[in-house]
Amino acid sequence: MKLLKKEFRLCLHPTALIMLLLSALVLIPNYPYAVSYFYTTLGLYFICLDSRENHDAGYTLSLPVSRRQAVSARMLLCCCMEGAQMLLCGLLVLVNRALYGGIPNQAGMDANIAVAGQGLIVFGLFNLIFFPSWYRDINKVGGPFLKASVAVFLYIALGVVAAYAVPFVRYQLDNARPECLPARLVFVGCAFVFFLAATLSAYRLSVKRFEKLDLSL
Amino acid sequence: MKTNNAPLSVRDLKKIYPSFRLEGVSFDLAPGTVTGLIGRNGAGKTTTLNAILSFVRPDGGEVTFFGLRMEEAATAIKEKIGFVSAGMTYYTRKKLRTITSVTRPFYPDWDERAYEKYMARFGLEEDKTPAALSNGMKIKYALALALSHRAELLILDEPTSGLDPVSREELIEILLALRDEGKTILFSTHITADLEKCADRILFIRKGRLSADRPLDAFADDYRLAEWEGDMPGDAAEKALGVCRVRKGRTALFDRADAEALGLSARTPTLDEIMVHLDREEDAL
Repeated sequence: MKLLKKEFRLCLHPTALIMLLLSALVLIPNYPYAVSYFYTTLGLYFICLDSRENHDAGYTLSLPVSRRQAVSARMLLCCCMEGAQMLLCGLLVLVNRALYGGIPNQAGMDANIAVAGQGLIVFGLFNLIFFPSWYRDINKVGGPFLKASVAVFLYIALGVVAAYAVPFVRYQLDNARPECLPARLVFVGCAFVFFLAATLSAYRLSVKRFEKLDLSL
Repeated sequence: MKTNNAPLSVRDLKKIYPSFRLEGVSFDLAPGTVTGLIGRNGAGKTTTLNAILSFVRPDGGEVTFFGLRMEEAATAIKEKIGFVSAGMTYYTRKKLRTITSVTRPFYPDWDERAYEKYMARFGLEEDKTPAALSNGMKIKYALALALSHRAELLILDEPTSGLDPVSREELIEILLALRDEGKTILFSTHITADLEKCADRILFIRKGRLSADRPLDAFADDYRLAEWEGDMPGDAAEKALGVCRVRKGRTALFDRADAEALGLSARTPTLDEIMVHLDREEDAL
């Protein structure tokens, strides 16, 4: 908890909070809503970039903590930001539905609970690719972010296409009909399992790599 | 095996990079002493400190703090040591008050009165940010944090680099006062004049190897420095450990025994002169 508090007080870059506000993109009538999750990952990139500039690793590892704990705290901070956006998006999806009364989205998934599933997949993919790659060398933040962003945008593009081309997505997920709710819930459940598995794998791999890393302080 | 409870004990420390090797570094620090780690830029001083503190992973050797190994007792060790590096400033835009309030909970032995005492003694204001502090004040803040958690061993990497002579003198006085309080200090620098004022012992590192581990006075007394106007005699040139050109001629460093055998009129050299002349020997090899 002490380390998490340190992450919030010293490492949380204001840009990450501003990016959370871009959850409001789900209020645009026709927009690929999964893109709003990308902005949160951009905020996480700024957190890690700012950490490098502030020699955060040197400070953290001079405290009485282990490298494993340092990785846990950083990933927990990022998961908190991801969780905050999930909540914010959930609320704004309800606002969207109240404003537009379920007008179909022409640019991807309609505003419904399945959008949360997309968010979980975006974050799971980002965590899985970005963190292990960054902890290989914490002075190089851009490369890992680029790799993770490519994967995230491929998934988002796939999601937009699938909303038209894949019958299950088109008829079960991309609408707000109550009879399709079980399918949407199953999708969100599977996405949650994917997020957990991806983030856990990312954590284990990140710890392993950070333990071996020679820090050039 | 005998347990070594020295504040810091290093045995055969090794770190290999593609273009640099640190090898065979072994030494012990006695409690309540100031030890200077000297060597030219790139000799391996910072690598040694980083390997000791596990910032870089050593490829061999053993490091113990107060008899404990970092891999087994990192938390307990870090509660008893303080690391200060001149080249590293954390969170330059955060107020000192914020950095302190985040740091404080990590140390069960945090002494708030000591913190207030050192902040006042060093003239530090909590409303300032590190970016608004001079290099000397940044070092003092790092020292204040280390001393407030009652660090018994202070490891300082080039703390006097970039400081003006008055600030350097002030820092040396602080270190001497801390030594008198029983703190153990390991102090890396290439400004050897600072060590002549405060070090009890010298560790001299050359090209990744520890070439001397001696009390300061004995280390300087092992050598003699002779000066010539014009060329050196041939027998002296053969025995010289290193020769430098000066305005009026040459200076040469000798083992004390050689200087005495040659009957040279020579004096005890300063640390700077030893370092410079021995590096000339290396360059000539």
